[in-house]
Amino acid sequence: MADKLWLRVITPSSLVVDEEVDEVLAPGELGEFGILPGHVPFITLLAPGELIYRKDGTEKRFILLGGILEVKDDKVKVLTEFVEDPSSIDPAVARKELEAVMEELKGFGGSSKELKELTRKLKLAQIRAGIG
Amino acid sequence: MPSLRQIRRKISSVKGTRRIMSAMKLISAVKLQRVQGLLLAFRPYSDAFSEIAKDLAFRCDPKWHPLLRRPQERKKLHVVFMTSDRGLCGSFNSNLIRRMETFLVIDAKAYEQVSFRFVGKRGRDHFRRQKVQVQVGEFVTAKSYIGVNERNFGPVAKEISSDLSREFAQGEVDEVILVYNYFKSALSQVITFERILPIEPEERLGDSRAIDYIYEPDREGVLNFVLPRYVETRVERALLESITSEHGARMTAMENATRNADEVIRKLTLLFNKTRQALITKELMDIVNGTEALRKGGVD
Repeated sequence: MADKLWLRVITPSSLVVDEEVDEVLAPGELGEFGILPGHVPFITLLAPGELIYRKDGTEKRFILLGGILEVKDDKVKVLTEFVEDPSSIDPAVARKELEAVMEELKGFGGSSKELKELTRKLKLAQIRAGIG
Repeated sequence: MPSLRQIRRKISSVKGTRRIMSAMKLISAVKLQRVQGLLLAFRPYSDAFSEIAKDLAFRCDPKWHPLLRRPQERKKLHVVFMTSDRGLCGSFNSNLIRRMETFLVIDAKAYEQVSFRFVGKRGRDHFRRQKVQVQVGEFVTAKSYIGVNERNFGPVAKEISSDLSREFAQGEVDEVILVYNYFKSALSQVITFERILPIEPEERLGDSRAIDYIYEPDREGVLNFVLPRYVETRVERALLESITSEHGARMTAMENATRNADEVIRKLTLLFNKTRQALITKELMDIVNGTEALRKGGVD
C-alpha cells in the first residue's frame, strides 16, 4: 500500500491538478467525505462544493460544480465541468449573486426539475459567498 | 512566343493568387493554434471519461442501463461522418470519403441497414450527389449539420450525442461509429473509424470483476451520470479533432500552394526576361543590318 494518493482533477479545458497528495476531502452527493491512501475502489457523484486536498502539511481548495470522482489503486480521478480557485472570487460580488438567487427562489412557481436546478445554483452561490 | 504584355499580365495574376493563398495560410495558422489548444486540453478529460465508461461496462450487467446494451446481432449501423464545409484543404475530405466508400462496399455488407449523420457539407454533398448505391439492405440518410466550427461544436455535440444515445437505447440502431480525421500534427491527420456504442468493456490490467466499486449515491445514479456523458465527450472530442485537422490540413495545403506559386512566378519572370532580351537582340540586329545595308549602298 502506497502512503500517497495520486490526485488528478480534470476539466474539459485543463488538467487542474496532477500530483501526489496525502489526503483528499470532497463534496459527495451524500455529504462530504475524506479519502486516505488505501481506500477501497469507489465511484461517486459530486455535488457543488469545495474540494480540499492536503500535501505535506499545506492545504489547497477548489470550488467545483459537481462531477464524478473515482478512487482506485490509490489514484483519485475527479472529472468536473468547471473548477474555480476560491481566492479569485470577489466576496462582494459573490454575496450579490447569492441574493439574486434567493430573490429568484422567493417567487418560484416552476416544476420540480427547475427547483432542483435552482437549489443547485443556490448551493453554489452559498459556497462562493463563503457561507455554504 | 507570348508577348511581353501577356507574360506580365500572367505574372501579376499569379501574384494575386499567391497573396490570397498566403493570407489563407496565415488565417488557418491562427485558427489552428487556438483550436489546437482546446483539443489538447480536452483530450485528457474525454479519455478519462472513456476509461471510466469502459470500466463500468466491464463490471456492470448490460441489463442495468440501456446504454450498456450489447446487441446479440448487429444489424443496424449508424455512421457519424465528419468532414469540413469548405475545400482548399488538400486531401482532408477526399481521403476520408474514399475510405468511407471502401467501407460501404466491403464491411457494410454485414449490416442490414446503414444510416448516416453528416457533419460538414463536403461529405454530405458527396454522398447525396452519388446517390450512393450501397450493397446493403437499406440506406438511410439522416440529419446533417453544416457550419460547425470551433465556437459552436459544444452544443452540436450535445444534440448529436443525445440523439445517438436515445436511438441506441431504444434499439433503433445497434452500433454507432464516428468517422473523422484524428489530429496528429498540422502535417498529418489520421483517418479514424471509432466505435462508441455499444461500449466496449475493457479489463484494466491485473483487475478482476470480483472487486466491484462502491457506488454513491447508488449504481444507477452513477451510470446515469457517466454513460450519456461518455457518448457526449466522444462526439465532442471527434468534432474537435476534425476541426483541428481541417485547419492543419488547410494550413499545409496553402503553404504548398504558396510555394508552388513562387515557383511559377520565378519561371514566368525568367521567360519574361528571356523574351525581352530576345526582342532587344532582334531590334539591335535590325539596326545593325540597316546601317550595314546603308553603308554598302553608299560605297556602290
